[in-house]
Amino acid sequence: MASDTAHGTDAPSRRERWLGRIDRSLVTLCLGSLAVVVAGGLVQVSFGAFSMTIVEAWQAVFDPAVVFSRQAWEAFLLGGEVPEMDKRSLIVWNIRLPRVFVAILVGMNLAVSGAIFQAVTRNELASPFILGVSSGAGLLILLTLVVFGGLAAFLPLIASVGGAVAFLIVYAIAWKNGTSPVRLVLAGVIVGTVFGSLQTALFFFAEDIGVVQSAIAWTTGSLTGTDWEQVRIALPWTVLAMVLALVSSRQLNVLLLGESTAQSLGMSVEKVRFALSGVAVLAAAASIAVAGIVGFVGLIVPHMVRNIVGSDYRKLIVGCVFAGPALMVGADVGARLALNPIQIPVGIVTGLVGGPYFLYLMRKQERMGEI
Amino acid sequence: MSRPRTDPKSRTNGDDTTESEDRPGTDSGQVSPESAALTGERLVLQYPSSDEPVVDGETLSAQPGAVTALVGPNGSGKSTLLKGLADQLEPEAGSVLVDGQTIQSLDQKELARRLGLLSQERTSPDSITVEKLVYHGRYPHRGFFESVTAEDERAVDRAIQLAGCDHLREREVGSLSGGQKQLAWIAMVLAQETDVLLLDEPTTFLDLHHQLEVMEIVETLRDESDITVVVVLHDIEQAARLADQMVALKDGEIRASGTPEAVVTEELLAEVFEIDATVESTPHGPRIEPLRPRHDDDDQERPTERVARSDSGSD
Repeated sequence: MASDTAHGTDAPSRRERWLGRIDRSLVTLCLGSLAVVVAGGLVQVSFGAFSMTIVEAWQAVFDPAVVFSRQAWEAFLLGGEVPEMDKRSLIVWNIRLPRVFVAILVGMNLAVSGAIFQAVTRNELASPFILGVSSGAGLLILLTLVVFGGLAAFLPLIASVGGAVAFLIVYAIAWKNGTSPVRLVLAGVIVGTVFGSLQTALFFFAEDIGVVQSAIAWTTGSLTGTDWEQVRIALPWTVLAMVLALVSSRQLNVLLLGESTAQSLGMSVEKVRFALSGVAVLAAAASIAVAGIVGFVGLIVPHMVRNIVGSDYRKLIVGCVFAGPALMVGADVGARLALNPIQIPVGIVTGLVGGPYFLYLMRKQERMGEI
Repeated sequence: MSRPRTDPKSRTNGDDTTESEDRPGTDSGQVSPESAALTGERLVLQYPSSDEPVVDGETLSAQPGAVTALVGPNGSGKSTLLKGLADQLEPEAGSVLVDGQTIQSLDQKELARRLGLLSQERTSPDSITVEKLVYHGRYPHRGFFESVTAEDERAVDRAIQLAGCDHLREREVGSLSGGQKQLAWIAMVLAQETDVLLLDEPTTFLDLHHQLEVMEIVETLRDESDITVVVVLHDIEQAARLADQMVALKDGEIRASGTPEAVVTEELLAEVFEIDATVESTPHGPRIEPLRPRHDDDDQERPTERVARSDSGSD
């Protein structure tokens, strides 16, 4: 049967070539994404109410007085007094660049969170917000803005907590001698519907248009007005979530083989699924805390990356860490500059980009849904 | 199918220690080169959604190093029994012992190093290569942060060789035929290097060539290794040809067990499978000629006669 097929002679070289090819597609994706982030960032720092040329903007970005100043970085990353710098550097480093950094962090978090949820539910159409996270966060945002106005300062924290609590409710509803991907998704729909209704009802009690606008900015996702404060909020959680996601990639791969197989390979499926969902909720919460509920990024990015590097999560997660920021920074360029001087929530742009991309996928792929 | 087969009857007593001495590759680090026994004691198995147990207090023991085949009609509980043995379904009562230890006392990875299951319910991403799939079989042998060791590579190579899918190594699983997929999945459970292997209907839905390929793999395991195999098979003839021991189930009860010659009889086929058949003894084991289905009100009536009767009755 097998004894007559040649073995071991050309297998290693073939394997190496295979790995080389795969890695090249991943490397290309990462470099391409980086290029988009850099180009988008450059556009973001150059244009705006205070106009400067691209050269001036570059000079400000690489201003040695800032880049090599320990005091400046301490001020940015730990909070504190920003040292003296010239006006251009101040605008670039204090107003425009932090927004790009926040976009990068949000993009990473959403993409990786979506990728994890797609493995946990074994469904390509899952997003970071499928298990009730967005509805829980949205409801608490509305409650805070409309009813408990005094707590508005804690809005980022409250929104993340709302997302996490809704996720726990979804899990509790889905639990019946263990969970299953289908039950989790259905429980997510149920909780999403109820919380969504409550959220809409709360709009009627909003006192003025300002509150409504603020609520819409939060629930569609916006990067307007973000600065180093937001970077400081999101950065530690982002680093933690990304590291956890990267080290769990093999678990994610085994989960894709189905519950029965994963269990017979010795995985405690329920524990792993809950832990991984926890990592994904952490990432989603970190992005909600600084940008609100940005839709579609967590749905499309893992899709695009999967189309390029395949479904191996060791590559998929790395790809998402790069491609997520590319989409987010690119979309934010549109959100900030397309209707200048009016800024629209970035979530509207990602929706406008994401819808047609999905339509394209639906037309192109025969089978969608299962990974 | 050129390889000569050993006669199953010559080794039904499970005495195969002589073969394990020069078995390639298991000398390093394997604690238990000897065959492991698998026993299910007074198992009561029930699905959470149903009120009545599917299997109610049955005891089954698989001989170490031998192949045990579970046969029975649809819904007889053979797959359920296999799930119970594999710890996929927790028994309401009774216990499953691997080498004298209850499987509940082992942690999941420890159990997966001793007992492998090829289940019928499985999915995989289309773009995964056969080799990557087989590497997943090493999951229970690897720690959370451990990377691939030489031991893993050796086990994967051996499993792929044994399952005869070396030529499929770099192919994507999504591009394979049903039979080729089955070989890839078998390679994955073989890479697990367990003492006990449970196979749930490994030949169902395969073309004849791949059915024989799968049977040949099991024969190789029977003759050249000391893995204890329990296999659920739909085809009684296949089971009789492959197994050292056969267990026939009906309505969740074990109706007969023993050597294929003892189990596959005309009376048993009538009782368990509700068919009239003739059984003929051949060098390849018992040969079954199915004649007709039996019915509860059985006067050996043919469907045509039944229809004719009910037609005239309704007039």
